[in-house]
Amino acid sequence: MVEPILRIENLYKNFGDVEVLKGVSLTVEEGEVVVIIGPSGTGKSTLLRCINYLTVPDSGDIYFEGRKIEYKQDNLSIVRQKIGMVFQEFNLFNHLTALQNVAIGPSKVKKINKTKALELAEKELLRVGLQDKADHYPAELSGGQKQRVAIARALAMDPKILLFDEPTSALDPELTGEVLMVMKDLALDGMTMMVVSHEMGFAREVSDKIIFLEGGVVSEMGSPEKIFNNPDKERTLEFVSKITRLGPIDSSRGGSDI
Amino acid sequence: MREQIAFFVSIFPALWEGLIVSLKLSAGALILGFTIGLPMALARTYGKGIVKKIAIAYIETIRGTPMVVQLFIIYFGLPDLGILIDRIPAAIIALGINSSAYQAEYFRGAIQSIDSGQMMAAEALGMTKKQAVRHIILPQALRIVLPPWSNEVIYMVKYTSVAFLIAVPELMARGKMIISWTFKPLEVLFWVGVIYVIVLSIIAKIVDLVELKISIPGFQMSREDHY
Amino acid sequence: MGLNGKAGEVFKSIPYILQGLEVTLKVTILALIIGAALGLILALMRVYGGGFCSRISVFYSRIIRSLPLIVILFGLYYLGADILDLSAYTAVILALSVHTAAYQSEIFRGAIQSISIGQMEAALALGMSKFQCIFSIILPQALRRAIPYWSNEAAIVLKDSSLAYVLGIAELLRRGEYVSARTTMPLLTYTIVGVIYFILTFVLSRGLFFVERKLSIPE
Repeated sequence: MVEPILRIENLYKNFGDVEVLKGVSLTVEEGEVVVIIGPSGTGKSTLLRCINYLTVPDSGDIYFEGRKIEYKQDNLSIVRQKIGMVFQEFNLFNHLTALQNVAIGPSKVKKINKTKALELAEKELLRVGLQDKADHYPAELSGGQKQRVAIARALAMDPKILLFDEPTSALDPELTGEVLMVMKDLALDGMTMMVVSHEMGFAREVSDKIIFLEGGVVSEMGSPEKIFNNPDKERTLEFVSKITRLGPIDSSRGGSDI
Repeated sequence: MREQIAFFVSIFPALWEGLIVSLKLSAGALILGFTIGLPMALARTYGKGIVKKIAIAYIETIRGTPMVVQLFIIYFGLPDLGILIDRIPAAIIALGINSSAYQAEYFRGAIQSIDSGQMMAAEALGMTKKQAVRHIILPQALRIVLPPWSNEVIYMVKYTSVAFLIAVPELMARGKMIISWTFKPLEVLFWVGVIYVIVLSIIAKIVDLVELKISIPGFQMSREDHY
Repeated sequence: MGLNGKAGEVFKSIPYILQGLEVTLKVTILALIIGAALGLILALMRVYGGGFCSRISVFYSRIIRSLPLIVILFGLYYLGADILDLSAYTAVILALSVHTAAYQSEIFRGAIQSISIGQMEAALALGMSKFQCIFSIILPQALRRAIPYWSNEAAIVLKDSSLAYVLGIAELLRRGEYVSARTTMPLLTYTIVGVIYFILTFVLSRGLFFVERKLSIPE
């Protein structure tokens, strides 16, 4: 049996008195696209942040490429280089152009020489269709463009898995399509992805597995067919149909865009 | 009026020399203030335990006491410990230490105004905290700090006049000297004031030009927004 | 504690130094009050005064903020001595007031301009006069917002009052100098003066912070 690229066992995280994660376990296989859905405040973002230790879990184990990540001993930098992350608020570096944003990781973290890093960055910008915006600063880009640059920035580190934390929630509805398109292309290229999102069209069409997180635990997980059509739990069906009806972006449109 | 101008011309060379001293003092103080202030800001923002406490104590002590008192402690007081410092270096050290505390607070304010997502994104790329501060936080903070920092430049040029109290021959001291020769205090002070106003306007203009020159989209601010 | 003679002398002189407190505090408080009144008028002139008034206010603020306090102090002192017959003490209060007024006008202006235009529009829509709008809607909000900056300025005025020293007024620093000359212990004496100022600015800042919290409204 092939070891999954990511295995999370019994993850717990409290913030003060609030228990956010209460024993989350899941696996992600190489090449898989996993979409995490669930009500707000249920720890979806916290779960993603625990994977690359931007948030340090209270207990539980995370195995990446078959090796347990040891918070105290491991060089987190090396782990994080292999786990790309895309944020809801983009978090592009405001003082750098699009190209420099993409190049800074390879040049400062991987210590690739600057010319090579810039060449690499150009390639990644091309991949997200923004080669013509290379010299623009974040303040000069639309939300959708910012998010695509952020994806290119993560890709430039040549990650083994990409984490997306509600990548389209901060975008105006008409700008989500371009970001979802890029994400879909990545999925088709075989990129392993873990996506927190309520873009049901994307989940239905692109994902291999949907995880329904509620109350700090994995309430149900399964293929999109199962989750959408005949989930085990009444509650899952209720949530999915509510999101599909009222979701931030209605799924029929998301679906046709992709 | 013509008389006034003739008078100005006669005292100008002495005032000019004083102005040069004032500008040198402020440049020295600003550089010293930056050199101490930036590490203090980093220690106060990112330091832990004793390092952070020392930075806070330093900054708050300096900001809680008048600059003249600091100047007197350094120039008149330190000789009690066998440390003798000449007037001009003493003035630069006193002004520089004073400025460092204020600069530290400007830097700290700028650093804290940067969205926490910037640090998070840098760490997610695999940067260490040190790398993130150096490559991501500081380049932005130094841009944000420019408007309040340029006000500090103006403050320093004005506050060098305090050095006159330890007989440093800066602009104010020259003015006082000329007053004692000419017995025309109001005329002399008027021209001293005019020189300050002109010089500070020029400095303000230069600062604005520098800001414009290094501004990048998303970082526009103006000196006038800070007081 | 075994104090040697000279240090003992300095410590015994602390009450003498503290007598300067009265002058320091009087000068500071009066300057702050006059400066606040003048500063507020200048700020209103600047924001609502229209062309001429606004320009006067800008001019005043630019010029005063370009002059070192010492120049203003000597200027008013000589002006007082030559023409107006002011005491050095009055000259100090006036100089500090004139100086802080310029900075306070900028503080008040910033605070007034930070109140959204919608507030003024809503008040006008209710039928208030512009005057009523300013005094019953804008200023109550703006002045609250100005408090943190204003308390910063208050601490600056307190510290700047030490420059009254140059006109020979027996405030804290000048008394410190006398003690230092008598005991030949400048380091200890000026450190004590520094500690007194530190306590004063600390108490002032804390006090104003308390006021700020008392007056705060949910935003």
